[in-house]
Amino acid sequence: MAGRSDAELLNDLVSRERRLVSAYEAALRRDAIEASLGETLLAHERAHVAALERTLAGRGDPVASVPSPELTAALRHRRSFALYAKQLEDELVYMYADRVPRIRDPKLRQPLGSIMICDASHVVALKQSMGNRFLVN
Amino acid sequence: MAPHVTRREALGGAAAALVLASCGGGDPPPATGPRPGSGIALLGSLLALERASFAAYGACLDVLSGHARQQVHAIRAQERGHASRLGRVIEELGGTPPPGRSRVEYRRTFPRLRTPEDALRFVEDLEERQVRAYLEAVTDFPALELRLEAAGICADEGNHLATVRVLQGLPPAQGPFVTGAL
Repeated sequence: MAGRSDAELLNDLVSRERRLVSAYEAALRRDAIEASLGETLLAHERAHVAALERTLAGRGDPVASVPSPELTAALRHRRSFALYAKQLEDELVYMYADRVPRIRDPKLRQPLGSIMICDASHVVALKQSMGNRFLVN
Repeated sequence: MAPHVTRREALGGAAAALVLASCGGGDPPPATGPRPGSGIALLGSLLALERASFAAYGACLDVLSGHARQQVHAIRAQERGHASRLGRVIEELGGTPPPGRSRVEYRRTFPRLRTPEDALRFVEDLEERQVRAYLEAVTDFPALELRLEAAGICADEGNHLATVRVLQGLPPAQGPFVTGAL
């Protein structure tokens, strides 16, 4: 991890955010998530991708995200999709907590952390959608 | 005419005052010994804020029941864990953690929490302030190890913030950028 450029670290984050955009788009098409929740989470993820892409502009080549084979299976039921999305969101929060402190440009760290907080709230939203009464990690 | 202040604003103002009191003049200096620029003063401020939050969640337990009480109890335990962790980091850097205040002293600075709604609004404001403080720390800490500590705890605070919002019947996610956009 040491010595990676800001562009490489940002690419890690935007790749995972794009996976979530694809996942929520597919879930909304297949009715695998309640529409209002899905649209809210999708709008947030699109805003994150747009902001990260703007920040990445001129900092290196974009990295394409790879479709996940697990997504197709997860889309069969709302609960399986919620579990799948929650895992992606959880992993993304940990990824932000690991990558953001390593970003060399200190001006970027706070807004990137702000995205991390939003993604942490998505974990809570997905737990709630599954009827989990216990929301604290 | 006197300016109108909503109950929410009053509770938010109380949270702000509590943060200032926790991080400012009331508490003893955070630590002595380590070299300047080590980040230890900022660690001391974060520790003071964690201790104040732990006390605030304790005060909330007095007016909460059932599911909300259970969740707040779990959050409070995590805040205590954060405070312990910050204290250990201060010691590892050669400092002495600030002693903190008694439960009575903390409670003197809290607003009167008469209802569950009062309590949850109060801790939502405190969580927002904790999130901002940790994000500033991620920006300002000179050492990578300290920035990683701050970011890890900040992720927990994000979970707490969303949870107390849900307990109030609010959407967990406030918007795509909680404290500022890229």
